[in-house]
Amino acid sequence: MMELKNKVIIAIFSVLIGIIIATQLKANVEAYVPVTIKSIENTKKEIDIIKNEIQEIEKIIQKREEELEVLKKISAGDEDIIDLFRKELYSNMIASGYVDLEGPGISIKMYDNPSDEIIGFDINDDVIHDVDILNILNDLRVAGAEAISINGERVMPTSEIKCNGPIIRINGRSIGTPFIIKAIGDPQLLMAAVSAPHTYGDMLKNVYQIGFEPKIEEKVIIPAYRGELTFEYAKPKGDDS
Amino acid sequence: MVIALIGILIGGVIGFLLPYTYNTTYSLYITIAILACLDSVFGGVRASLENKFNIRVFLSGFFGNSILAAFLAYIGDRLGVPLYYAAIFTFGGRLFDNFAAIRRLILFKNRSI
Repeated sequence: MMELKNKVIIAIFSVLIGIIIATQLKANVEAYVPVTIKSIENTKKEIDIIKNEIQEIEKIIQKREEELEVLKKISAGDEDIIDLFRKELYSNMIASGYVDLEGPGISIKMYDNPSDEIIGFDINDDVIHDVDILNILNDLRVAGAEAISINGERVMPTSEIKCNGPIIRINGRSIGTPFIIKAIGDPQLLMAAVSAPHTYGDMLKNVYQIGFEPKIEEKVIIPAYRGELTFEYAKPKGDDS
Repeated sequence: MVIALIGILIGGVIGFLLPYTYNTTYSLYITIAILACLDSVFGGVRASLENKFNIRVFLSGFFGNSILAAFLAYIGDRLGVPLYYAAIFTFGGRLFDNFAAIRRLILFKNRSI
């Protein structure tokens, strides 16, 4: 009798377990991965990135709405469209490099190795080349430089930097050492981009002993581009006239 | 032994037929609790074969173990340490121990008859 009662109790609870297991199976959990601190951190980072993106998109929306407001005012006759065009023209001139700019940034003075002792196997190792300048320019752009000039020549998207023996040609003009590169941007970032260990500027200075003096300046003046931007071959896409 | 297996099968059928489901967030805790319950039932079968079955021990083990196991899994989740391993190893190991004991009991009983 006792045996039977035990069996009944065990059977009842077995049925209970069976029900729970079946419910669990029905839930159809594919694979349970335990939540670790690392995965939480990664998810947090992803969320932060997405939040930043959202903020940026909201800023763009705001900007566009402001533009729309201006256009609405013009259509209502409150503002003159010529003023708007002048403003736009000016901002386009700034963007294309036809306006003198000033702002915080750095200036870098570069000159050939002044010492009599030759470093390396070749005299070429002691001289500044176009490649060196190009690398420094690229480092500055990576660090967010907004405007760059070399010896008073504005560096444009179309500017060439060509080795011409001991001198360098830029914007069709030849310039010699010392080269003074000026850049507007976050001064700390720009400075770090050319003087931190393992950067190209650091290598030039400490390995090749080339004169390289970056300096933070509160007010850097970058002159406007003096040439003309004309396209001979390129034309707007879809414009076949 | 056979009763427990049949019971689980019947329960499974009932569970599949019933429309109830729960939030998948709790699935880990439920899984651990199932393990603890299974261990208790195997322990109960073994005890009843040994004629030592006590309903109080069985019931307290069944509910206490499962709640404790689920609680461990939950705390582990909160702390970021997979504490449910403790429950898995303990109850998993005991499950096999109980099963081994049941096997021996049944085999020896048959041989003696």
